[in-house]
Amino acid sequence: MSLGEFSRSKAFTLGVELELQIVNRHDYDLAPGAADLLRLVARHKTAADVKPEITSSMIELSTGVCERHPEVVEQLLEVRDMLVVCAEQQNLRLCGGGTHAFQDWSKRRIYDTPRFHHVSQLYGYLSKQFTVFGQHVHIGCPSPDQALWLLHAISRFVPHVIALSASSPYVQGSDTGFQSARLNSVFAFPMSGRAPFVLSWDAFSAYFEKMTRTGVVESMKDFYWDIRPKPEFGTIEVRVMDTPLGVEQAAAIAAYLQCVARWLLLERPFEPQEDDYLAYTYNRFQACRFGLDGVVVDPRTAERESLRRLIAQTLRDVELHAIELHAEGGLALIRAQLASGHGTDANWLRAVHAREQYLPELVRRQCLRFEGRDG
Amino acid sequence: MNFPETLWALTGSPWALRPDTLLGVTLLLIAAALLGELVWRALRWPRMVGYVGVGTLLALLGTGADPGEPALRLVIDVALALLLFETGARLNLRWLLANPWLLATGVAESLLAAVAVFATARALGLDGQSAAVLALIAMSVSPAVVLRVVGECGAAGQVTERLLALTALNTLLAVLAIQALSAGWLLSDPETWLAALPVVTLALLGSLLLGVALGAVVAWIARRLDLRDENAVLMLLGFVLLAIVVAKTLHLSTLLVPLLAGLWLRNRSDRPWVWPRHFGSAGGVLVLVLFVAVGSASSPLDHPQALAIATALIAARWAAKGLAVFALARPSGLSWRQAASLSACLLPMSATAWVLAIDFAATHPAAAPTLLPVLLTMLALVELVGPLLLLYALRYAGELDPPTQATQAPAPLPPKGSS
Repeated sequence: MSLGEFSRSKAFTLGVELELQIVNRHDYDLAPGAADLLRLVARHKTAADVKPEITSSMIELSTGVCERHPEVVEQLLEVRDMLVVCAEQQNLRLCGGGTHAFQDWSKRRIYDTPRFHHVSQLYGYLSKQFTVFGQHVHIGCPSPDQALWLLHAISRFVPHVIALSASSPYVQGSDTGFQSARLNSVFAFPMSGRAPFVLSWDAFSAYFEKMTRTGVVESMKDFYWDIRPKPEFGTIEVRVMDTPLGVEQAAAIAAYLQCVARWLLLERPFEPQEDDYLAYTYNRFQACRFGLDGVVVDPRTAERESLRRLIAQTLRDVELHAIELHAEGGLALIRAQLASGHGTDANWLRAVHAREQYLPELVRRQCLRFEGRDG
Repeated sequence: MNFPETLWALTGSPWALRPDTLLGVTLLLIAAALLGELVWRALRWPRMVGYVGVGTLLALLGTGADPGEPALRLVIDVALALLLFETGARLNLRWLLANPWLLATGVAESLLAAVAVFATARALGLDGQSAAVLALIAMSVSPAVVLRVVGECGAAGQVTERLLALTALNTLLAVLAIQALSAGWLLSDPETWLAALPVVTLALLGSLLLGVALGAVVAWIARRLDLRDENAVLMLLGFVLLAIVVAKTLHLSTLLVPLLAGLWLRNRSDRPWVWPRHFGSAGGVLVLVLFVAVGSASSPLDHPQALAIATALIAARWAAKGLAVFALARPSGLSWRQAASLSACLLPMSATAWVLAIDFAATHPAAAPTLLPVLLTMLALVELVGPLLLLYALRYAGELDPPTQATQAPAPLPPKGSS
């Protein structure tokens, strides 16, 4: 299977995908309800789309191609409200968060499609441990070379969005100490990590050809990279985020990435280079472990800076682009997040658990957050 | 007491479920646990099938349980109370409001089953009063069997959720309807109605109050103690026991009180409640005795004259419940496969029906001679089939834990681009 043409898409268009947890209303464990939910979803029509995912206690919603942040918010709220109604009819509930706080991975069932069964058979327990819930953001690129340039330039901002979205402190019933423990599950996959440093589509196609010849991968879907090009859509796809607890936060993170992309491509504040990746995994770890308080290293200057300050700086850098893209609403949410006591969703979860001391109740509060009923 | 006398006390009529035959009861417990474990290991059947199996053997030997025995009756009441409490706690009234077609399913399957059983019983020559009692009892699907099979097999999914909700709903309807019928008969007697009126009203009100009080106490404890902790659970068990003792002393319904308590707990607040199944191992022993006792209540051979009519009533009941589920499956959001599974799951009748029948017969002794043989035969016919059907139906719907997966490596991807 060849890589195929890179479709052209309008620059800086947005698409947001959110993987959601399906839980029961009795003890708030994950519930195998994807098919039951989708049966009802089929009766509604929304701008965003809802699809099954690998385990039957997960569904994925994806917006259409959006130009602006307010459009993303509108589509996400519409599909969210529809899903909440459908879930209620099946005695289910939905929530965000990168992991389920206390689910037992050995109990997860694989959604019934051939591809999912193949993946499950290949990766064994990894595929069930992979019951984690992420947000993916697509950014439209008019040309494949621009896409690859942007992919490598924006990799510097991967720790930012990890910290901003971090919502997975609990795994299998215990506090991991991480703000985003979800990514630790992703890193276990052999094809995870970062894309090879090539800046032209021809070189990338050659790499892909060599990889498929080894038989290790069949399609782009087999790469679990943090950021990967999506030739069919003409986008790059940033995949490191946890699903935030609320859809507004998901839209804000998408807006942040959109503004950064526009700033990078139009102003070219720096040229990406292979050495940018020297500190990549270390910085990513800092973001996963400590969230906004993580301290990352600039591989070029060896300077250390907290993510909180770097994000604040970036918000100033992209200010004009935010106005141009009508993304101020989203960025205001992030500014408020930096200023607030809690900061990340992970901290909010820890605070709730410190008060309630009861993980099922914590998941219920997550559901309330997702439904927009505060919590 | 000299030695031979002691020996006689230990071994005398050893298989009866009576407290004075301690050896017999102990051996029965061991036999039930052993058979339960055997069917679980060999066939992956729920252990309760083994418990009921031992009861059935007792029934065939003619030494079945006598529910008139106060100590045994107390064990049955408490075990059933634990199961009914858990069942009540699975009925989320907000779900019924959010999905009115499900509420319609619950009401329709209960009413249709009652109508079908009544009509069949009348057609086969039963008197109207017995037919009415059988019809109302037949509305209820056994919460004991449903909870036990679902719990043991780790079932989860839409059919399981609906089965639990429908079971709670139709049991509630059956208990209320039987109480109403019983009260109606008492009140229709011109000699006694004036005396009966306050008794009947107080019994209903008292059951409601006691149920709510028990639910409130459980909620109060659960907020302050961790219900996964053994000591907290023992305290809960104590309160359920207390509620049952109070209910018995005041002649309130030992079925309604725990059912309402669970219902109240679930619907008073949205907070999740998790406690060990049957309130831990102490409750587990009681539930084991319950299943042995129900299994031993009667064998199909005890009342050969009732065999045909009991079979017909079971068929009519099952068909009616299935019809209601199928008719409303699509609007309520079920697939056909799930509807088939859920219909099959509505067969079991067990301890609740038994207790409803013997209590009714105690209040209205005139009804006993026709009511009890038919009902006991119905129970005997489905007591082993019901749980197994439930098991396979839930598996058919894909709601049981997946079987352990084969660990062989998948076929390697075919080589590409080798040309």
